[in-house]
Amino acid sequence: MRIAVDAMGGDFAPGEVVKGAVAAAREYGVEIALVGPTATVERELAKWDTDGTRIEIVEAPEYLVEGEHPAYALRQKRQASVAVATRMVKEGKAAAAVSAGPTGGVVASALQFLGTVEGVARPVVGGNFLGFAPSTLVMDLGGNVDCRPEQFLDFAIVGAVYARKFLGIENPTVALLSIGAEEGKGNELVRESYPLFLRSGLNFIGNVEGYDIPLGKANVIICDGFVGNILVKFSEALGKVVSGRLEEKLKGKIPDAELKKITGELVLATNFADARGGGPLLAVDGISCVAHGRCKAEEISRVIGQAKLAVEKDLVGTLKTELADARKRLAISSA
Amino acid sequence: MSPVEEKVKEIVIKIVRKPELDFTPTTTFKDMNADSLDIVQILVALEDAFDIEIIDEEMKEIANMGEFVAYIERKVAARKAA
Repeated sequence: MRIAVDAMGGDFAPGEVVKGAVAAAREYGVEIALVGPTATVERELAKWDTDGTRIEIVEAPEYLVEGEHPAYALRQKRQASVAVATRMVKEGKAAAAVSAGPTGGVVASALQFLGTVEGVARPVVGGNFLGFAPSTLVMDLGGNVDCRPEQFLDFAIVGAVYARKFLGIENPTVALLSIGAEEGKGNELVRESYPLFLRSGLNFIGNVEGYDIPLGKANVIICDGFVGNILVKFSEALGKVVSGRLEEKLKGKIPDAELKKITGELVLATNFADARGGGPLLAVDGISCVAHGRCKAEEISRVIGQAKLAVEKDLVGTLKTELADARKRLAISSA
Repeated sequence: MSPVEEKVKEIVIKIVRKPELDFTPTTTFKDMNADSLDIVQILVALEDAFDIEIIDEEMKEIANMGEFVAYIERKVAARKAA
């Protein structure tokens, strides 16, 4: 299985991406296509022992940088590394693409070259980002910063299917993230989405608030990517600050090894980048994985492992079948 | 409605997912609630459909669907003349 890796995406690219790709090639036995400017990638690759691995470099002279408008930048930079990697999936030259570049760029590439599964307008960045609530998925986590009510419903359907199929939750509860539990609370988007969700046939339990997320009050919690991305990053920083405080307060009072274990677990439970690194965009008609921009080699390797798993588990085919079934059930229950 | 206008309308409506959209010369992307990803998808789909290249800088001058259709018609005519 060949996986195309955007060598130029991420805060620590290309160094950490190349290092992570080499590790993944060894650990998961996958073929890697490192996509980026050949000379730059070659220089990084030369630093590592690649004996016994199958790694090639695929030329892409350009790449996206933070601060550009991703959708328009992709039109200007048609040979950008993320675009070339995603096109390889479209053309059957790779089974999956992985990028730690700007999330908007990964989403725009996936949308442009792979498209979405039938009936879903946009790729969804979703998943579990808090170890405290392992059965709670939050969607979207940064791929779609401006959303419409019908997109929220798409996210919910995709989330419910994912929770059922991949987390084994038979009838997942679905909620809208808002600033109050009562109907009518929230911004225009949440208020307009509420009646749509009520009629959807999903197991909709209404609005939940921020503090309900770590408590795992719903299995699928819907928000736009603007809010979701803030949640992820706030959680990461909070975990690090709290674990730092714990170290200060408990140092010398409990054994160092125990303290390290406690703070390590806390950071991991709150830190999406360290715990998972990223994952596949959902509802894309092909496997495109987005990794957190702060990922280092170990997490990059882990996301490549997830890409392999998504291919092996036929994530796309499963979602297509399950979505079609879910829509039939929703049509019946809302009729 | 010209064949080009028909095709533009079909693509725009499909991508913004508004089958009920009143596609008139004065309709704007804002009226459709289209965001940047929608607009880029529309441009890519039109480039593929008509084998033309749309220049993003030129798009900035376009105010509504009437101007948009006229722009696409000029591009199609130029391609045929080339």
